[in-house]
Amino acid sequence: MGRYIGGRVVSMVITFLIIASLTFFLMKLLPGTPFNNQEKLSDAQIVQLNEKYGLNDPVAVQYFNYMTNLLTGDLGVSFQQDGRQVSTIISERIGPSAYLGFQSLLVGTILGLFLGIIAALRHNSFWDYGTMVIAVLGISIPSFVIAGLMQYWLGVKWQLLPVAYWDGFAYTIMPTIAIASIVVATIARFMRTEMLEVLGQDYIVTAKAKGLSSTAVVIRHTIRNASIPIITIMGPLVVGLMTGTLVIERIFVIPGLGEKFVNSILTNDFPIIMGTTLFFSFLFILVILLVDILYGIVDPRIRLAGGKE
Amino acid sequence: MSMKQEKLHDLTDDMFHPANIDESESEVIAGESTGFWKDAWRRLKKNPGAIIGLVIIFLVTFLAIFGPMMNEHDYRTQELTRAKLPAKVPVLENIGFLGVNGVDIRGVDQYEAKGYENEYFWFGTDEFGRDQWTRVWQGTRISLFIAAAAAFIDFVIGVAYGGISAYYGGRVDNVLQRIIEVLVGIPNLILIILAILIFEPGIFSIIVALSLTGWVGMSRIVRGQVLKLKTQEFVLASRTLGATSGRVIGKHLIPNVLGQIIITTMFTIPGAIFFEAFLSFIGLGIRPPEASLGSIINNGFSSLQIYPHLVLWPSIIISLIMIAFNLVGDGLRDAFDPKLRK
Repeated sequence: MGRYIGGRVVSMVITFLIIASLTFFLMKLLPGTPFNNQEKLSDAQIVQLNEKYGLNDPVAVQYFNYMTNLLTGDLGVSFQQDGRQVSTIISERIGPSAYLGFQSLLVGTILGLFLGIIAALRHNSFWDYGTMVIAVLGISIPSFVIAGLMQYWLGVKWQLLPVAYWDGFAYTIMPTIAIASIVVATIARFMRTEMLEVLGQDYIVTAKAKGLSSTAVVIRHTIRNASIPIITIMGPLVVGLMTGTLVIERIFVIPGLGEKFVNSILTNDFPIIMGTTLFFSFLFILVILLVDILYGIVDPRIRLAGGKE
Repeated sequence: MSMKQEKLHDLTDDMFHPANIDESESEVIAGESTGFWKDAWRRLKKNPGAIIGLVIIFLVTFLAIFGPMMNEHDYRTQELTRAKLPAKVPVLENIGFLGVNGVDIRGVDQYEAKGYENEYFWFGTDEFGRDQWTRVWQGTRISLFIAAAAAFIDFVIGVAYGGISAYYGGRVDNVLQRIIEVLVGIPNLILIILAILIFEPGIFSIIVALSLTGWVGMSRIVRGQVLKLKTQEFVLASRTLGATSGRVIGKHLIPNVLGQIIITTMFTIPGAIFFEAFLSFIGLGIRPPEASLGSIINNGFSSLQIYPHLVLWPSIIISLIMIAFNLVGDGLRDAFDPKLRK
């Protein structure tokens, strides 16, 4: 197991370095100027600014500086916010995003598992069809459409919940529903399929035959075995969640990292784009690694095969 | 007992004729033969969800092509005096609860107030007075085009890459799969956004950006299937009979993977539509005066509280498209491989 994890960590570090280099060179290719109000600046000022941020150095030197700074956790300074550290900006903004992400993941997973289990146990019943309809709708309807409909009906028309902004629990409800909808749908569908698969196995018949109560069969044998493959879809789901938060934070004007990212794209603030890109990529790779390790722990066949399918 | 005997008496000799013992006759196939496609289509027809999905796809495609021509307005003519008119449809305007009589949410007939009593805008107008009906279908057309193009590119690259990787195996497979591992390590959202930033935003750059990572899924599925198939006896038999690589791939491997390829494409399309809408939504998509469903929804959001109709219609249409493709995809999966059906 130690060797397996070691190998995975090494390949994770390599992937991250490739992403960092790729981001750096792509940023160099970007059109547009990084400074605010460029037209108001004199040529001398532009030269001075370029000098200050090291933009006059050869690209190779800039790349070297960038990568060495990166190793010490220094993501550079924002060009547009009076030279504030990118890492400070990220740490200020991560709070609401992380809160929203975890809350959506938690609510979505619990609800999804519940619906999936009920649907499988009551196969071909009203509950089953209801869950499948919810699943198709949840997977199909884009989160921003759900967010818009809720904002209009719940927020504007019936005045039940605050329309936007970030100021306490009530403000988190609509964004959470919008992000969690896809989680609920994906997990419910997956869990239902896995449950039906497990329910048809011989060991379930054996468990019933040896006189175990049906509750015990469901809890100890069915749900437990059906939950294992759920781990594999958690990686892509968490990544999808990040995509979701970008839009949802923008719609609900939540001061999170996603909103900052979108804004920095629109204003050409290169260091922030690079910093957040690397931060998102790091999270992404970390999640995939954790999922793989977790899966290796619960299913020994995976690590023996060296992590290959 | 007596019942049985009575019944036996009912059987007369003319009800019987001698069995045919000629062997060539017994080989004749009685029913019409059912091939793979026919069988799949028969199963698909029994799936109400898939049929509803197909009908929706057909209707939406029809409207995307002909919708913009159905009235005299075009998608780019701006006329600020008629900005943000609510929806008004001939005949249906007389049915109050449908809300298509040109009266806004404050109860004012905007058509009368702005002096356009004789005009009809079926979905209303946007903030620049452009006809929303024409814009929405024009946007649908662009969204569908981007999705179809991205799906096609994914299909071509994915099938070729996965097919080559699996068919030749060994070192080729190893190298190609390492490349994929690195690609998959990069969050595709980030890669897409960076790509769009480098190219100028527009239809072409969106298609390229979506295809950058989109083909990986297809290539993995094709590779998995081909790996499984190429060791099977019928392929070995074909090789033994002297078939070339081209023939084995074209005649035996591709037709057997085609079902999987079609299913994957069916799920690629809604994914691409979503991503395009998403990009337009964060301001990296289609530039005005062109429109896509995502950019129309994004524009509408700024005046959601007062003019919900600007968001409502494109939202409904994009949701319908996504639902339809997902339903058809599910239906096809069940139809091609009934074993998977749960």
